[in-house]
Amino acid sequence: MKFIIDFFKSLKLAIFLIIIITLASVLGTLIPQMRSPQEYAAHYGQLSELLIRLEVTDLYHSWWFMSLLILFSLNIVICTLTRLSPKLRRALRPNLEFETSTLMAAKINESFTKNWDLEKSQAELKKAIRVGHYRIKKTRKDGEVHLLARKKILGIFGSDIVHLGLLVILIGGIISGFSSFRTTINISEGEIVPIIGTDFKVQLDKFETEYHPNGSVKDWKSTLTVIEDDTPRLTRTIEVNYPLTYKGYVFYQSSYGWDWQNPTLEIWATKASDPSSQKKAFAKLGEKVIWEEENLEFIALQFLPDFVIDGNKPGTRSLDPNNPAIFIQVNRGEDSISAGWIFAKFPDFSQMHSEEESDYKFELKDIQTSQYSGIQMAKDPGVNYIWLGCTFLMIGLFMAFYWPTRDIRFILKYIDGKTEIFSAGRSAKSQLALEEEYTKIMTSLRSSK
Amino acid sequence: MNESTLFLITFIFYFIAAFFYLAFMFSKKEGSAKAGLSVVTIGFFVHTMALIWRTIESGHAPFTNMYESLSFLAWSGALAYIVTEYKYKIRKVGPYLMLIIIGIMALASSPLMPKEATPLMPALQSYWLWLHVSVTLLGEAFFAIAFVTSIMYMAADSREKKGIAKEGAISSEKLDSISYRCVAVGFPLFTLGGLVFGMVWAYKAWGTYWSWDPKETWSLITWFVFALYLHTRIVMGWKGRRSALIAIIGFLAALFTYFGVNYLLAGLHSYA
Repeated sequence: MKFIIDFFKSLKLAIFLIIIITLASVLGTLIPQMRSPQEYAAHYGQLSELLIRLEVTDLYHSWWFMSLLILFSLNIVICTLTRLSPKLRRALRPNLEFETSTLMAAKINESFTKNWDLEKSQAELKKAIRVGHYRIKKTRKDGEVHLLARKKILGIFGSDIVHLGLLVILIGGIISGFSSFRTTINISEGEIVPIIGTDFKVQLDKFETEYHPNGSVKDWKSTLTVIEDDTPRLTRTIEVNYPLTYKGYVFYQSSYGWDWQNPTLEIWATKASDPSSQKKAFAKLGEKVIWEEENLEFIALQFLPDFVIDGNKPGTRSLDPNNPAIFIQVNRGEDSISAGWIFAKFPDFSQMHSEEESDYKFELKDIQTSQYSGIQMAKDPGVNYIWLGCTFLMIGLFMAFYWPTRDIRFILKYIDGKTEIFSAGRSAKSQLALEEEYTKIMTSLRSSK
Repeated sequence: MNESTLFLITFIFYFIAAFFYLAFMFSKKEGSAKAGLSVVTIGFFVHTMALIWRTIESGHAPFTNMYESLSFLAWSGALAYIVTEYKYKIRKVGPYLMLIIIGIMALASSPLMPKEATPLMPALQSYWLWLHVSVTLLGEAFFAIAFVTSIMYMAADSREKKGIAKEGAISSEKLDSISYRCVAVGFPLFTLGGLVFGMVWAYKAWGTYWSWDPKETWSLITWFVFALYLHTRIVMGWKGRRSALIAIIGFLAALFTYFGVNYLLAGLHSYA
């Protein structure tokens, strides 16, 4: 047991672990993480198998990286605990038994003699030091008076609170790693989606996209209602950066898209030789439109939101309606008289192949469909630990670096009607500021009568 | 008058300040260094106006693309410098730091950096943009000063060892101590802005506080390097060359987090 504690309390181990964890983190940013084995094979060839076996391809979740973090946590705990009791002693029962030689060996020190007795010396000293708001502890030893003046003593516990914060963050990370849950749901207006693992459902009341004047997206807003036991519990509009939280489940606006399963198509058919003969229709895919005057019927068979010729087949470049097109077929009785692609954005560029010279023009005027909202849902029980840990971390850091403890030790020796004053200032973290203050105090002490 | 004019005027002031500092380096006249500091301070105020102007014009925080964030970094550098200069009177650091600030300004004004203010994408529309970026860059500005003083330490130290240190030169010991002070001020700021505020914002915008994205990982790496600096120094008593070397590596890591990650590694955090 003692051996284990000695091993983990060593600061050298901490330094070693920090260096190793840092280098491992660097490696993880140089090798792309969590790609497919094929990608690694293409990129690293022979080496790829080794990389995958060593879990370098998912480094931050690998067993060895986790082990390093656990070792590091143990190291932090033991280092902090073994240093805590001397610190507590220093804060609560400081050692006043210092020697003159120790004071004179300090980096900041002074000694001089005054024509005062011990009482007068102490009174003058307290007066001089008052400007610095120091607290004074005092003891007598073999006719000498020892004084310890210090302030901001809580600063010495800053690093311990930082370490506590780091541990809480690591614990939060472990809890997140084991029990966080996250999924994306695509939900259309009016739709109700049950949330797996819970007894509530979410309904999308309204979804809208806002645009900047230049056409780029400004924001997406989804109005969600949480339904539990068939009663609406909560309605809120979420947008990017402003999620909704319900019973530990958080709903984030993460993406959007169009539902192309069942668009409504506005199709205009016109007779070229007699434009007064026209048919305007709203139709679904596969729905026949009858144009009685011309004894025709037409039917949209296929829809592509972003038409492109891929190889030599029509395809779609994306799911955004950049170049919407439908494949339309025109029938007279039993016979198909023409068929082909027409484009909403290029009405004159139709690709109708006709059996007979066609007198008809078809236009795709508009496409209406619902947009769906992409909502990321997450439950992460670790996250509160993270915020708690971060709070400790910051309190500790500001205590350690913005509230640095400093002290001044004095020894007063009364010899032959005079008092010899020895003093030394000490501050691990604000040497310069202490030096300034120390000089001021000593100057005022020397000059007082 | 508009933002780019103000930016140009700032640039000119910083240039003039650099000339005063160079004059100070050769003539050793205190007056030149004092003039340099006044000109930097004036430049800093014009720069502040430029940033405010940009904020009003674009309606968002002035650090949402590379041009803006470089300009803001130069501003933070000038601020951190003015603060340390008034506090520690380290005139010799001025010339080197001015060179870095001018370098950043030049980079910001290069034609490669798109300057037009574009509307913000949805993920960036949050007050966390202000908190996250400004506090992080302020912390990094202190790391930048520690970087300069650490390099100066290296030079001063080898001169002192060879016994060719010039009369009136800043002592290596003082440089070492200033480096430490700057790291000690910068580290809590960097932790708060870069890591803590970053995690809070990531959680609000992406639904996860940490995703090992390259930018996140590199800011953690930077944090580890400075944690190493502080532990070796405070607990193990390292000083001088070894400390200076760690501070230099730390700033280079911060610089890589800032630039390198955007251009060399792909990730979520692809704005600036």
